[in-house]
Amino acid sequence: MSLLLGALTLGFIFSLVALGVFISFRIFAFPDITADGSSTLGAALAAMLLLHNVNPVLATSAAFAGGFLAGTLTGTLATKFKINGLLAGILVMTGLYSINLHIMGRSNISVLGSSTLSTYAERLGIALARVHNLNVMGWDITALEASLLVASFLFIVLAGCVMYVFFQTNLGTAMRATGDNNEMVRALGVNDENMIILGLGLSNGLIALAGAFIAQYQGFSDVQMGIGMVVWGLASVIIGEALVGTRQLGLSITGAVMGSVLFRLLVAIALRLGLNPNDLKLVTALFVFLALIAPGLLKKLNILKLQSSHA
Amino acid sequence: MLEIRAASKTFNPGTPNELLALQAVNLTVNDGSFVVIIGTNGSGKSTLLNAVAGSFCLDSGAIFLAGADITKWPEHKRAKLIGRVFQNPFSGTAANMSIAENLALAAYRGKPRRLGWPLRKHLVSQLRDRVSQLNMGLEDRLKNPIGSLSGGQRQALTLLMATWLHPEVLLLDEHTAALDPKSADQVTALTDTIIRRDKLTTLMVTHSMQQAAYLGDRLVMMHRGRIIQDFHGAEKQRIRMDDLLARFEEVRAPNYSTRAPPRCCAACISDKPSSIIIAPTQAK
Ligand SMILES: Nc1ncnc2c1ncn2[C@@H]1O[C@H](COP(=O)(O)OP(=O)(O)OP(=O)(O)O)[C@@H](O)[C@H]1O
Ligand SMILES: [Mg+2]
Repeated sequence: MSLLLGALTLGFIFSLVALGVFISFRIFAFPDITADGSSTLGAALAAMLLLHNVNPVLATSAAFAGGFLAGTLTGTLATKFKINGLLAGILVMTGLYSINLHIMGRSNISVLGSSTLSTYAERLGIALARVHNLNVMGWDITALEASLLVASFLFIVLAGCVMYVFFQTNLGTAMRATGDNNEMVRALGVNDENMIILGLGLSNGLIALAGAFIAQYQGFSDVQMGIGMVVWGLASVIIGEALVGTRQLGLSITGAVMGSVLFRLLVAIALRLGLNPNDLKLVTALFVFLALIAPGLLKKLNILKLQSSHA
Repeated sequence: MLEIRAASKTFNPGTPNELLALQAVNLTVNDGSFVVIIGTNGSGKSTLLNAVAGSFCLDSGAIFLAGADITKWPEHKRAKLIGRVFQNPFSGTAANMSIAENLALAAYRGKPRRLGWPLRKHLVSQLRDRVSQLNMGLEDRLKNPIGSLSGGQRQALTLLMATWLHPEVLLLDEHTAALDPKSADQVTALTDTIIRRDKLTTLMVTHSMQQAAYLGDRLVMMHRGRIIQDFHGAEKQRIRMDDLLARFEEVRAPNYSTRAPPRCCAACISDKPSSIIIAPTQAK
């Protein structure tokens, strides 16, 4: 049961990564892999500040700001300096590895014992529900687990709604149009380069926020924790698109969250069934690979079928 | 007023592919004037329009628009003063966004994009109003993605977008060339109506001799990066398609020099095919 709750909670937290990847890959069609570095940056910043007894809300906000800056840096390299987008992301990600080590001082730091958003959520949960342990259908759940699940769910609903509204404002519409047709957007007086920079900033801000939440959820920050983040986010987005389609912004956002939760559940089940945790990233990469080539393969199959039926 | 002074542009300078796309072009367009630009393939018509729009920087020369020296302005800043329709119907609109969203983007041309709500009630009713004037039945489909429309419908909407906020100059680069004949006629008629109604200063590139003869109050002919002919007023109104075809034959002759005196004759084109389109270009 706590495995299930944990998977759901992680799924909600990782939806922030999915939403970030959705902004860069889908809205801007920009293959941004800064995420691997910016998620760790978020975790490192939050953990470091928490260890110095900074208020958890402030520490988490600082993580968002750090990720935002990293994203704008990638965007600036790609637009103002005309560096290939993939390479710009690699450069920033690589640079961040050292920066993250500097922030943390070593490769792994624990925040257990500090007050974090997790302890906040637990205290609030206990205050509201007035019990320390729940019993749901015969399963024992700690107040911590339940509070974290509810809190992460509420936060992701809020984030999704804010994002949905934002992308329909004048600024958000201009950003979506930039990803769609930058020639047109320039002809309508929008500085498309600034839109990309800002968009990547928001994307990596969300991803760093996820990093900060993960650090507080699992109680530590690790310099390696961001590896594979882009692929996880992409897997969630792809699952979401398969679930709800791509026609509408609201659906896409909901889909990315659902994809992330479903993906975490699948991972939890696979691990339970004996998948070696070391193989997790390989399996994820294979999954994304298959999902990316599937539409093309299906088309080819259809053409072959048509040809054979004509023959 | 649009004033182009000695505009020069060389592509790939210093390489074997060096190309003098614009050679000290001078052109002054008065407010409300509708200039049609024709010329052989590669004569620099698109380059001239792109120079005005700011797609690249001139090597030398200057461009003034509405009293401002815009020579050094980036493209998105010039867009405040310029409305533009491209040859390719896909270039002027964001395919995955709705008709309403596309038009709203144009209604804010040149204004800062902040957190305001674009599709306010009065704007939407204004959109519906203007779109229904196109008589394409699109007013009931404002929420549909613009990518689901035909090329002609998209060009009509792009024209509406480019002229939404009275531009100081309207740039049309073969905006009907990629359309089927019927849609092309429709968009041409719409173009003429809007330009006359709003008294828009316009530069229109075309390969259609029919458009060149019947539209606009001034006709400019380009060849090898230069303006070789400029018909105004009554002279422009007298021009027939046949005269233009003959002039084309002349500049295409292998021994033609850009200094040859202009000569118009209707007689020498009797063996021309009946098509009125010379060298149509394909949409990219
Ligand atoms: N970005 C560019 N880089 C290099 N060469 C270019 C570029 N743009 C245009 N040219 C070249 O400059 C010349 C003028 O091109 P331009 O597109 O202005 O001609 P045009 O008069 O519009 O011709 P068309 O009737 O075919 O549209 C052509 O030879 C073209 O190949
Ligand atoms: Mg051209």
